[in-house]
Amino acid sequence: MTSFHYLALSALLLCLIGLSYHFVRLIRLGAPKDFSRPRGKPASAIAYSFLGAMSPAKKESAYLHLPTYTAGLLYHAGTFAAIILFFPLFLHARLDGWLRGILVGILMLSGLSGVGILIKRIAVKKLRFLSNLDDYVSNVLVTFLHFLTLAALVAEVVAPLYFLCVSILLLYLPFGKLKHALYFFAARYQLGLFYGRRGIWPLRKT
Amino acid sequence: MSHLSEEQEKALKILSELKDSQLLSHLNSCVHCGLCAESCMYYLATNDERFVPAVKVALVSSIYQRYCSFTGRSFPQLVNARELDDATQNEMVDLLFGSCTLCGRCTMHCSIGVDITYVTKVGRSMLAAMGLVPATLQSTVNAALQTGNNMAIPTDDFISTISWLEDELRDEVNDPQASIPLNQAGANVLYTLNPREPKFFPLSISAMAKIFYAAKESWTLSTHMYDVTNYAYFSCNFEEAALIAQRLYAEVENLQARRCVLAECGHGSRAFRWEAPNYLQHPFSFDVLTSVELLAEYIRDGRIRLDKEKNREIVTLHDPCNLVREGGIIDEQRYVLSHAATTLIEMTPHGVDNFCCGGGGGQLAMSEYGDRRMKIAELKADQIRRTGASTVVTPCHNCVDQLMQINNKFKLDVNIKTLGEIVADALVLE
Repeated sequence: MTSFHYLALSALLLCLIGLSYHFVRLIRLGAPKDFSRPRGKPASAIAYSFLGAMSPAKKESAYLHLPTYTAGLLYHAGTFAAIILFFPLFLHARLDGWLRGILVGILMLSGLSGVGILIKRIAVKKLRFLSNLDDYVSNVLVTFLHFLTLAALVAEVVAPLYFLCVSILLLYLPFGKLKHALYFFAARYQLGLFYGRRGIWPLRKT
Repeated sequence: MSHLSEEQEKALKILSELKDSQLLSHLNSCVHCGLCAESCMYYLATNDERFVPAVKVALVSSIYQRYCSFTGRSFPQLVNARELDDATQNEMVDLLFGSCTLCGRCTMHCSIGVDITYVTKVGRSMLAAMGLVPATLQSTVNAALQTGNNMAIPTDDFISTISWLEDELRDEVNDPQASIPLNQAGANVLYTLNPREPKFFPLSISAMAKIFYAAKESWTLSTHMYDVTNYAYFSCNFEEAALIAQRLYAEVENLQARRCVLAECGHGSRAFRWEAPNYLQHPFSFDVLTSVELLAEYIRDGRIRLDKEKNREIVTLHDPCNLVREGGIIDEQRYVLSHAATTLIEMTPHGVDNFCCGGGGGQLAMSEYGDRRMKIAELKADQIRRTGASTVVTPCHNCVDQLMQINNKFKLDVNIKTLGEIVADALVLE
């Protein structure tokens, strides 16, 4: 193990501690109490919130913005791939052949999606107005992660830079908007609870 | 950190003394993608980036960050953390009260699932804690608190209006025993009213009275508390909202009614059916349902008979946000209309995706934002125009008021009716 490995490992531990703090806080506060008489089935609606309601056909944010929606999907797919790849890269496990080819392809597309999303944030007036420094930092960190994971897959020489990037990202994650990775699940759960209790979700045809 | 007043401290406690994880979840989930913009009438009508719904979340979040989060306190520039100063407060009033109808469209279409409407209401409740509710809206709340109804109608005037309507009903159904009962204990239904009805639209009371007569319902009105509205739901002063809700709750209990039927009023229905048990912190022992559900029930159970040929004009339906997207009453009004009119042409979009009339969220009461309200109303006018309908039906008196203004301003030349009115027109009396 090099010092970069130790750095990444320490960052991972600190990140997990930070996320645990957020998670415990969410659990301790709990979901809102609702005394109204339910009209629908909250359990089905919570499931729908994570499945059917995420369909691009159900959300204007998706079907009115298909290029951005697609870029977002690719970006997140690349992020998940990069998270999983941290472990084999940390353990020096070699990934060869078609699997490496596929991963390189995914990371290239997701990295380019990240660049595209960043350019959009800078170029579109309403997004510039809405954005803060955290939005740019988070995007740049994650996009770098995609490209450096890709580079580390094909050239071991970039490993120190890769582990440095991973460490910064992991240390930053519990403090900036990247923590939506955790809060997203709480938000969708609560939205499902809200719409489910009132019999709005799962949506039915009118 | 600048010195904070007692009111500002009170407002900040709303952010710091959390009762549950709702606010944390939604504030920390918004990724500022801005994809909610096209779901908001204000943004669509003006193309003004200030009206992107996520900007409202960001505004509340910026205050939360400044006073309640490690990141915001330590690195304010990173997350745009803001002081709760005059500039921030003015911006909050303009964005959270002046450019949001609480229609919930942005929430339903958010890519993440951020409850933007909820965050906006949290921001409004902070403003209420600081005494910054627009005076026009607050005066409507005050009227309800001081007189028992938001239009400050004296009880004698109300009783005389009902007495006159009772005479009209007897003539119309040709039955001297027909009545509009007042304060009758033990009735099956306590029916509420929007004060606009006795004040401006008494025929909608007549319509429901005729339907109750046809259904042989055991029902009553209360002269003590008949107001279905709760404008404190809009001002987000939850103490005042609880006081108003408690009055109606107590009156249902007092008259020992089995069901409280809420008049055609979107926000009133929401405020009593869904919010009031939480304002009062206990479940209700009686049934609470909207008149839309009751009308559907009467038709389904054969308690009233309708002849849809009596309504042969092309009808379109406006879905009130609080009843439909936020209240789950989606199919019932369509079922009723399918029996009451020959031709229903739906707006595009409709149902849970429908656009607000523009008058929700307390906008109709806040005359200072009247120009903005009518600007966004153009979307609704276009929706109506495209249906080719000559009658617009909506189960909400607030929407009726706004639709009448839209009709006038955009020269739509349509009739605006409540669901009860079109049902009464189609009623077949035995």
